Order: sequence, then C-alpha cells, then structure tokens
Amino acid sequence: MSSSRFSWNRDFWPLLVASIASFVVVMVVAYREYTPEWRHHTQVLRSYLTGRGAYDAAAAVPDGVQQIWLPKLDRVDRCMSCHVNYDGSISPLADLPPLYRPHPDLPYMAKHPFPTFGCTACHGGQGYALDEAGAHGLEEHWDDPLLTTKLASGSGLTRAQLMEIKCNTCHRADDRTAGTDLINMAKEIVDKKHCTSCHGLQGRGGLAASDLTYDGDLNPELLDFSTVEGPRTLLNWQVQHFKSPQQVTPHSGMPNYKLNDDQARALALLMLSWQRISFPPEYVPAARQRPPAVLPVVREVPYPPAASSPLAEQGRYVFSNRGCNTCHRVGGGKLIGPDLAGVAQRRNDRWLTTWLKDPAAVVAKDAELQVWSREFGDIIMPNQNLDDKEIEALIAYMKEFASGVSELLGTASPTPPPTPSSPAS
Amino acid sequence: MRAKLNRLWRRATWSWSPASEREASTAIVENLWLHWFPAKVAEESFSWSYSLWLGTISAFLFLILIVTGILLMFFYVPSTQLAYWSIKDIHYVVGFGWLLRNQHRWAAHLMVLAVFLHMLRVFFTGAYRAQRSTNWLVGIVLLLVTLFLSFTGYLLPWDQLAFWAVTVGTNIAKEAPVVGSALQFVLLGGTEIGQSTLVRFYVLHVVVLPAAALVLFAYHMWRVRRDGGMAVTDPAAAVVATPQDAASVGGKTYSLFGVTPGTSLETRAAGPIPDGTGVFSAPHMLRRLMLVFLAVFTVTIVLSLISGAPLEEPANATLTPNPAKAPWYFLWLQELVAITTLRLGGFTLSGGLIGGILVPGVLLMAGVLWPFFDRSPLHTVGRWFPRERRLQNGVLCVIALIMLVLVLIGMLMRGPYWQLYWPWQAWPEMPRRL
Repeated sequence: MSSSRFSWNRDFWPLLVASIASFVVVMVVAYREYTPEWRHHTQVLRSYLTGRGAYDAAAAVPDGVQQIWLPKLDRVDRCMSCHVNYDGSISPLADLPPLYRPHPDLPYMAKHPFPTFGCTACHGGQGYALDEAGAHGLEEHWDDPLLTTKLASGSGLTRAQLMEIKCNTCHRADDRTAGTDLINMAKEIVDKKHCTSCHGLQGRGGLAASDLTYDGDLNPELLDFSTVEGPRTLLNWQVQHFKSPQQVTPHSGMPNYKLNDDQARALALLMLSWQRISFPPEYVPAARQRPPAVLPVVREVPYPPAASSPLAEQGRYVFSNRGCNTCHRVGGGKLIGPDLAGVAQRRNDRWLTTWLKDPAAVVAKDAELQVWSREFGDIIMPNQNLDDKEIEALIAYMKEFASGVSELLGTASPTPPPTPSSPAS
Repeated sequence: MRAKLNRLWRRATWSWSPASEREASTAIVENLWLHWFPAKVAEESFSWSYSLWLGTISAFLFLILIVTGILLMFFYVPSTQLAYWSIKDIHYVVGFGWLLRNQHRWAAHLMVLAVFLHMLRVFFTGAYRAQRSTNWLVGIVLLLVTLFLSFTGYLLPWDQLAFWAVTVGTNIAKEAPVVGSALQFVLLGGTEIGQSTLVRFYVLHVVVLPAAALVLFAYHMWRVRRDGGMAVTDPAAAVVATPQDAASVGGKTYSLFGVTPGTSLETRAAGPIPDGTGVFSAPHMLRRLMLVFLAVFTVTIVLSLISGAPLEEPANATLTPNPAKAPWYFLWLQELVAITTLRLGGFTLSGGLIGGILVPGVLLMAGVLWPFFDRSPLHTVGRWFPRERRLQNGVLCVIALIMLVLVLIGMLMRGPYWQLYWPWQAWPEMPRRL
C-alpha cells in the first residue's frame, strides 16, 4: 500500500515466536495445574493395590483434594489428599508403603476422632498446603512445623515427647494427662517448687517475675543465645535456662533448682505448650480448681537497704541480683520468707554460711526450723548456689541489718534504687 | 455455487468495504474498539529503539492486573481474620489460583518498573516540552497512582511482609510536616494498622485507584494524539503540515467532549497523515500491539512459574520480622531514612523527615516544575540524549543511578537489625521455635 522503505512483514517472525512462546508457557501452566503432587501419590497407591489384586480398594482411592474442615479450630487439614488411607478406610493393610499406612490405633484415638480434631492440631504442619514441603511446614514462613523424629532428636526428645506440647495446648488445665509423662512431671515441679509465688500464670500468681501464661509465644529472636549451648531454638533456650538460669541470663533472680536433663526438658515442653491458642469449650477438658499453695507475691519488690562498707556493698549487689529482696524484707515484716532485720544478731557467721550453702540440708537436720517453715507454706529457701566470696559479702551486708537501719527501708520507697556505682547514704 | 458461497462468506465477515483510504479511516474512527488510536500512524512511531514501547507495556501490564485482580476478588476476603487464609486457599486449592496470584504480583512489580522507565524515557528524549507538558504532569500523577496501587495491594495478604512493609510506609508518611500524623491517621483509619486499614486499602486498591488510573490513562492516550502523536514524529509532521494538507482534513474533528470546529485535534496537531504516507493502525498497529501483549503476557507467566509471590507468617503486631523492609520501590526511601537517622549518645535524630519527605518531595516538585523551566531548544525533542540536553539528562541519570544503588543495597545487603552484609555473606541464623 503505502511505504516501500518500511517492511511491515518484519513483525511477522517476532509475532510467530511470541505466539509459540506464549502457547508453550500456557501449556506448562496447564501441566503444572493438572499434575499436583497428591495426584501422583493417589495414582501410585491405586496401581499398588491393583498389582495386589485389591480392585475394590483401588477403586475406592479418591481423586481430588480431600480435606477435614474444622471451623471451630480455624483449621483446614488437607493432609489426606496424599495420605488418602489415613483412617484405614481404603485398605487396612499394614504392609503398605509408609505414606499410605493407616494411623495407628492408639489408646487416645477414640477420644480424638479425625472429623473433630483433624491432623495438624496434634501433629503440627500446614494443613492448607498441598505440596510436601509446604504441608510439612518445612518452609521458612511457617511457624508450626510437622513434629518429626528428626526435629525431636535435635533436643534429645522422642517424637511422642515433642508432641506432648500439642496435647497440652488443650490439656493445660489438667493435673495429669494420661500419655504425657514429661508434661505431667513438669506440672508436678511447677507445684512443688511454687513457681507461681513469683511468676504470674493465668491471672494468678506473683508479680515478682515474668508472667508465664503465654510463655510458649515468646519471640525467640528477642532471647539472648550467646551463652546457650546447642541449637538456637526456643525449646533449647528453655532447657538450658532451666538447667542454669544465671548462665543463660546473667543476674537472673530465678533460683537454680539443679534440675536434671529430663526435668529441664519437661519444663521446657510445658512452657512451649502455653500458647495463645483458643479452643471452644467442648474441646477443653474440665479445669482443675485448687487454691494456691502459698500467698503469691503481688506487690512491688522492696529495695535492699544501702550498705556502708565496700564488702557490704558487694553483698548488697548479690542480695539484689539473686532476688533475695523478692522474698525478704528488712524491717516491715515477713513476705515469702522471714524479715531479715537483725538476722546477724540472731545467727552467727558459721550458721549463716551453712544456711546459705544449702538451706534444705539445714532444715532437714533442725526440727525447730521444720516447724517454723510451716508459717511460710513449707517453702524452703531455694539454694542459690552462692560461692564463698558471695556468701562472705552477703554476711557482711546482713550485719548492717540492725534495727536502726530498717527504718530507712520500705516497700514504697519514693527514691530510685541506688546502684552499686553510686552508693546512697 | 462458488460465487454464492463467496457472497455468503463476505456477508458473514465483511458488511462493507471501503472505497478509499479516507473512507477506511472514517470506518476505524467510528469503531468503538478501534477508535482509540488514529486511523493512520506515522512510521516513526513504530520504532523499537525510540520508545522501547514502555507505555504500551505498562498499559498491558495494567490490563493483566485488572483481569487477574477481578478473578482474585472472587476469592479474597478483606478481613483481618480471613484475608491470610483466603490467600492460602487461593495459592493451594483455587484452580489456577497460584498463577493468578503470582502473575498479579509480578505484573504489579513490572508495572511500577515500566512506568518509571517510561518516565525516564520521556525525559531523556525531551518529549515533555511545549504542548506535551500537560501530559507529563498527567504522567507523574499516573506514576503516583501506580505506586499507591502497588502499595495498597501490598497490605492485602495480611502477612508479616504486608503488615510491616505498610508499617514502615505509613510511619514515613507520618514524618510529613504539619499534616503527618493526620495523614497517617487517615491512611490507617486509626492510630495502628487494623481492620479499618485493611478495608481502606482494599477499597482504594480495587475501586478508587484503578478507576483513577483508567480515567487518567484514557486522558493520557487522548492527549498524546492531541499533542501531535509521539514526539519522534514531530520532524516528519512539520514537513507535511502545510495549509493545503490541513485543509484536506475537513470532515470530522474532535475534542475531549465532542466535535469542536476550528479547535480540533487535527488542526492543533502537526497535521494529519496525508494519503500516501504513514500506515493504517489496523492492522499494522494492532499487530504490533498483539506482539507486545504476547511478550508481556509470556514474561509474566514465565516469572510466575519461576518464582511465586511470597507469603510470610500471618500478620503479628507483636512480632517484628527482622529485617522489616518496605516494598522495593520504596526501599531507596527507607535506605535514605536509615542513613540520615543519626544517633548521638542516647539521642536519636529521626531521618524520616529528610529521607521520607524532603528528598522525595523535592524530587516530585522538580519533576512537576521542570517542563516550565526547561530552556533547551525545541528541535532536540524526540531524540535520545541530544548534546544540548547533556546537563539535565546527566543529572537525572545520576539521580536514577543513586536510587537504583540504594534500592539494591536495601534489597540485597540489609540483614537482621538493618546491618550491612555482602550479598554472598550469610546472615546470622535467626533462632526458631523448635
């Protein structure tokens, strides 16, 4: 028509290439859409069953996304799209490849039927996902991975033990839950050691230490891992912290209870299970109702009185850092422990040294102290594992707890706490 | 029989055949689907190297965004309780949902890039001079609308990425003098990101901003014709713009609101393309558009196949991801904010005002005002990097380069606690729960 110097046919080849390219990518898209992982798995099962002559079972293998929708739990579990034989309804055979084996018939399965609980409520993982990496929660942005043997062994646990976390998200109000041995052990420790004297828990307990109600939701990025041995996980941080609070958190006021590995792991599991997950009432076992064993510390922690000599000042530092003032006042009456005003006049250095080294051993030998400790809810002062230098300093400090000094103190002191570097008068 | 079949075929396919080029032009102008480009186009407009077809690419990306966006709207629920889970469903169980979402995300990123590059092209070729300055302003507004469209879409998945990117973005907005906190309040629908923010962003994203973009885009295109087509055709048009040619136009003339004799598109423009020169838009321009569309479509799909749209953990106001980054096209601002934030002992001087408000504000004002201060000769219009425009093109090059470098630093080199890491340097492993 018009232009001879401009060849309009030169768009022909690019157009052809672009057409073919777009056709190819659309085909790739279609291929990807119609060959999902779950379809492959169902086909494998179907041919496996057919190969063994189980034609009815092969015909029963569904084709399509399978799911259990749990609106009450805000969950959708699509695990059975691949694990099609999860409930044994297709084939009860036990020698199937692992993916297709039915869920073992464990004692608690009767109380936790699939239609009510689904899979991820107990096992973890991402119920929404339909590919293996996503469904098993191994991708970076999923907080609740499938609880596997490998994951558990990283913290020296078995898979069943790790799964106790999941049991206790629902069973947290139980005294004991059959099958959760570690969690049961941890609950016993929480009672025996009177953790709620200092820690808040579900609206009860003390204000002297952190509230533990949702301790399982702690952001691990906010924790200091610099002195923690082993994997950088919240679970391991808790284990190490229970074994040696001061090593993980220097100057922590939490007593070192000399817990063994099992006890520390049990408590760590318990902490991780205390998550902000809400279950409808019909899911939650009846709550236990028990009065608290001791009066919790619901007040401000009193400031330790000032010291006059350098050694006593060191003692004051220990007194403050080990949290002695959480339980003891100097003048003003008893708290969790007795008032320490004039304590050095009542007891000599040797007695105080023995006591600070191991309070429980002293109580065990002294009938009078055993009677007296009833006044304090049978709590025996936790062993703070002080070394000789700290004990010497502490005693020097306590010698200043004369009746005259005690007037300077109070729980409602308006002045800020004097720091070791600026001795107050 | 054969003649009968032929007639039947012609009747089914062609109701009418033009008798002259003029009649053919009128037919195109009167066709709703074809009238948005001129009946005939100058040959220079087809150049790949002049325009790089960036405007067309942006328009096709916008088309892809509208189509995928409408489909996504059938499945997405703008509620803080359900948004994240509806995205999970779109990704995993909605038929081709993964493709819709990935393609929407990629097209959005590419559109921001294409619109920005389009602006650079227009500047470097001086195509904003004289009568085209109005369209330059419209273009700047379109760039802002594009950025805001992308930014509002960023929040909708309601995951950590969305939540904290928008936190960073709206905190920068807060640094604006006088109106800052009011602006943030209006954006968020309160003092913190929540349900009211989500609904606001949703309505802006699916109704207000696309409507604005469509209207502005239509005007932008119309304005291109009114201003005499693409700047590259100016020299050719000047040759043929003789009174005799203008007189030959006659017939229909157009303005925005109808036929306006004397002030028509044709008379203002350098002149219509006379018989014998230029080429018909249909099929030549249509064929070219088809090619560009197929290329854009293929690229978005290939990218969607290679890399999916990210979805992080559900939004959590108490848990800041480390590092928390703004969308990439705002990263140069975040980087500026970080660089200009000074810590003197315990006293922190926030860089939000300098990096977040002053620098982009000054750049924006400069962009708006520049056509009215530019004194470079008009004959340079329509050419890449002419000697006479060395200085201003150089300055823009430097600014664009700085932005690019800052974006790359923010994207590739900022690790936890906003520390600098080389791209090949591993970040410290962040602790996990289990």
